[in-house]
Amino acid sequence: MINDPLSVITLVPLAVGLALLIMPKILSSAEGLARASRAISMGVALAMLAITTMIFLGEIGSIDWTDYGSGYSLTNESFLLIPSIGVSWSVGIDALSFPMVWLTTLLIPVSMLVEWDAKKGHLFHPLILIMEGALIGVFVSLDMFVFYVFWELTLVPMFFLIMVWGGDDRRYASMKFFIYTFTASVVMLIGILVLYLYTPDVAGSGTITGHTFDLGVMLSSASSIPSEGLRHLVWIMLLIGFATKMPSVPVHTWLPDAHVQAPTAGSMLLAGVMLKMGAYGFLRIAVTALPESTMVFIPLLIFLGMVSLVYGAWVCMGQTNLKRMVAYSSVSHMGLIFLGIATMQPLGIAGALFMMFAHGIISPLLFAVAGAFKHHYHTLEIGSMRGIAHHSPWMAGHMMLGWMASLGLPLLAGFVAEVTILIAFWMSFGWLVMLPALTLIITAVYYLTSMQRTIFESNDPHQGILPDSLHGEDPSDITWHENAGMLILGALTVLFGILPFIFWDMMSDWSSGFMIDVLVQAMESEGVNP
Amino acid sequence: MISLGQLNLDSETAFTLLPELVMLVGVMAIILIPNLGNATFRMPLTNLRVPILIGGSRFETTNDPRMPNRIATATFAIAFASSLLMIDSTSEEVGGLLRSDAFSRLFSAMFIGALLLVSVATTHRIPAKRNAKVPADGDSEAVTSRKMAALIDNRRQVDFHILLIMVGLGMSLMAMSTNLFMLVVCIELASLSTYVLVAFHKEEDVGGEAGAKYFIVGSAASAVGIYGMSLLYIWSGDLSLDALADKWGQMQGIDPFAAFGIGLMMVAFGFKVSAAPFHLAAPDAYSGASSPISGLLATASKAMGFVALIRVLVMITIPDFGEESFWFLMLAVVSVVTMSWGNLAALTSENPKRMLAYSSVAHAGYMLAAISVVGSGLAGEEGTRIILIAITFHLAVLVLFKLGAFLVLSLLETEGGGHRMQDLHGLGKREPLIAGSMFVFMLSLAGVPPLSGFLSKLLMVNGIVSSSAGTGSPSTTSVYSWIETVDPVFFLAAAIVANSALSLFYYLRLSLVMFFEESERPSRLKSAPSLRMAIMACAALTVMCGIGPASEWLVGLVTTSIDSLLG
Repeated sequence: MINDPLSVITLVPLAVGLALLIMPKILSSAEGLARASRAISMGVALAMLAITTMIFLGEIGSIDWTDYGSGYSLTNESFLLIPSIGVSWSVGIDALSFPMVWLTTLLIPVSMLVEWDAKKGHLFHPLILIMEGALIGVFVSLDMFVFYVFWELTLVPMFFLIMVWGGDDRRYASMKFFIYTFTASVVMLIGILVLYLYTPDVAGSGTITGHTFDLGVMLSSASSIPSEGLRHLVWIMLLIGFATKMPSVPVHTWLPDAHVQAPTAGSMLLAGVMLKMGAYGFLRIAVTALPESTMVFIPLLIFLGMVSLVYGAWVCMGQTNLKRMVAYSSVSHMGLIFLGIATMQPLGIAGALFMMFAHGIISPLLFAVAGAFKHHYHTLEIGSMRGIAHHSPWMAGHMMLGWMASLGLPLLAGFVAEVTILIAFWMSFGWLVMLPALTLIITAVYYLTSMQRTIFESNDPHQGILPDSLHGEDPSDITWHENAGMLILGALTVLFGILPFIFWDMMSDWSSGFMIDVLVQAMESEGVNP
Repeated sequence: MISLGQLNLDSETAFTLLPELVMLVGVMAIILIPNLGNATFRMPLTNLRVPILIGGSRFETTNDPRMPNRIATATFAIAFASSLLMIDSTSEEVGGLLRSDAFSRLFSAMFIGALLLVSVATTHRIPAKRNAKVPADGDSEAVTSRKMAALIDNRRQVDFHILLIMVGLGMSLMAMSTNLFMLVVCIELASLSTYVLVAFHKEEDVGGEAGAKYFIVGSAASAVGIYGMSLLYIWSGDLSLDALADKWGQMQGIDPFAAFGIGLMMVAFGFKVSAAPFHLAAPDAYSGASSPISGLLATASKAMGFVALIRVLVMITIPDFGEESFWFLMLAVVSVVTMSWGNLAALTSENPKRMLAYSSVAHAGYMLAAISVVGSGLAGEEGTRIILIAITFHLAVLVLFKLGAFLVLSLLETEGGGHRMQDLHGLGKREPLIAGSMFVFMLSLAGVPPLSGFLSKLLMVNGIVSSSAGTGSPSTTSVYSWIETVDPVFFLAAAIVANSALSLFYYLRLSLVMFFEESERPSRLKSAPSLRMAIMACAALTVMCGIGPASEWLVGLVTTSIDSLLG
């Protein structure tokens, strides 16, 4: 029944994680399981990384992505889960989802490694494993019902990660996180249901309802929704769900709170993968199903993207809390993704895809550094400390690399994404590009000032100023496992900065195919013969 | 061959009525068995003593106060299994008043299943103690009252369980009735027993008040309904459902006599399903009764009301395709008011039982909305079938997660809690599995995928939308102009969706306090193994009936039963 690699990487982490959480509670003889759960979780996570890497080296890597018609390159035989309403288990990946899947399988072991010594490790690491299964499930489902179930399932482990291992204000932050994203995804569910109710009766449709949740059928039948107004309404409902997850101003306010309170691994996964679910779903469902609505609403997308970008960067400048600053920089970068999509050009979409991936390795690095800072200096205040380079050279090095990558230094991963989005934006909207381009200067300003203040500046070159929270103790440099995790992420940042075409080719090919498809569909529904 | 009036009880009929006969035997057993004793009768002129069992001093085993509960549980278990097995069997007429077919057997399985769960919960909610003692002279006041309470509970066992079986008998026969008179009589049999059950804890203020209120409002509603039935009798001269349906079909226009009769009957049934504005007694009754009984009212009693509504509204007055029935508009308005009122009131409830009561009002609203679509004339034969399947499936799974939630409250009631939100605080830490099950019940009530509550709501919304969405003009370009052209029936689906979103807030609130508030009493709850097992089973079935083969099996059963109803 389950023999394809995609089902395995989705279901195995879920099953193992759940078993590690529950078995020691049920079987008193399974105490050893609780002790070993950290190692088992890590083993499973590494195995999943090995599988996705093998998929990349094997089948995916050799595909000619310009042939978009082939669609999903790796799918399985689907079987019905709920025949009465047409829900089936079917999974597959394409160039849009594969980088995200690989990123997930990479970040899970890295975040486990960074928090190798987490308190209550027998619960912490299995929860992260459950998170992995749910996240991969979102990216690989080819059934909208299953997609939605995984989408909501990701909330549960993250909620518990913040609630149990979070900072002092964790209660407020986790509640806010849960209520914001859950409410938004209920709105999204309504949009999905409208799409469902207009699907034709095909093989695999519900025996009672006569409709199907099959992703492909749902996306292609969306244009048969009778009223243009209703299609716009559905598009808006989907946007609310995805934009809140991304998050975009004005529904971003859960993110800084959640990030500041979340444990390091939680922040890493939140910024690294969970935010990308929003962009992924937006491209996969809203843009694909309703291209002409997307065309109509491009001004709205530009507005949301610009406001997120500028506001996020502007607010960053005023932040004194390290994690809060990184969180707002995420809002700002997600704004760039919206701008990339709004260009409706292959280059812009590819840039947005690369931004999703690049931000997915840079922001976890930043959060790992911030977490280590909190761990060793017991504070997150940027101004409370001078001259980290002197006390913790490794931490200072990672911090610098992360910030440089985030502000878009050439030869680092972030640059590739930013520059392609800006070029595409210029091609589409001309001199309007000045606004996002100038915002990047703000980004540079806040990173450089913080860097200068915390890492280098020192009133006494031999000593630096230590924060009060250390109470006169000597600060220590990061531990081996924190260092190892950050090194991996840092190395990938450099690698994808120098050799972006590892993923860039598949992304740009997919984008061109995608754009042709979408534009043709949009023109057809306008009545123009392409 | 035994003959009960006109009914010849041959073996075939006996088999057809097996669940009901089992319950009848159960009632007799509950009366007889605890009274068995070692009395003997000496044969005249001999020393031979023949035991006659009635009288003398009672046997230890039969005198056990736990006996009535055991008999009731066994009765319900056998009756449940037999009705479940009979769903697939062919339709059988009994005595001209009853018909055993897939539809009636599905509902009797539903009713008896709910009663089985109630009977299991009662083992711990109104416990019988074998070694209860009469208070001694030296006992303190607290000890005395505790001992008295135990003695009273022992004394009540027989009454309680006889009433429970009577409810089952009434409901089960009601589902089989093909005659309006029989239907009303059976509803009354079940209702009168539930009135007493609600007021069963008469020593508590809330119990007495709840029972009195429920009884007064309920009998007024029944009286109105019986008046309506008498109007129908005057109009038609025959109360058999088939004859009424024939007469209705031949009627030219709408005879005000008949319409008035149907309208009055809807008042009685509306009270049973707790539709606004007849729902006002429900929250008081639910919060005053012991939790298993509240659960019974919210599931089996509500399902009974819906069977009556389906029998009368859908089977008698169903209009031809394209014609709107006279009750459509009224029922549609009532349904929207019911669901909105229920949800808004539940949002502000501080008592979990009241909250569940209002949520049950809201659920009645969803199902009434679906029934009203059948009357809109847009549904057609296939649409009617889909909507009836959705309603029946919803009623069936409601027994799992609504009653399950009340069972969790019963467990809390065993330590005196369950009436305040604070009693649920910290349940996640005290009892992770129970709190987890409660969480599943809440999510399912809210309709979160992939639980069974989502499946049933989706089927309902799908039925409504597929009947109505086609009426919107396809040439419109804005959503406003499309809304202007679409039939108002479409907005019933929108109302269900909007209300479900609203309801999420109180369901989630209840779930979250279980995990994130500190408990006032950190100890574990009473062990109550069978009650715990019942809760777990409900939770597991709630998940399984939403996804996978179990859901298919249940949908299959429901489809069979609706097909047998529609013929």
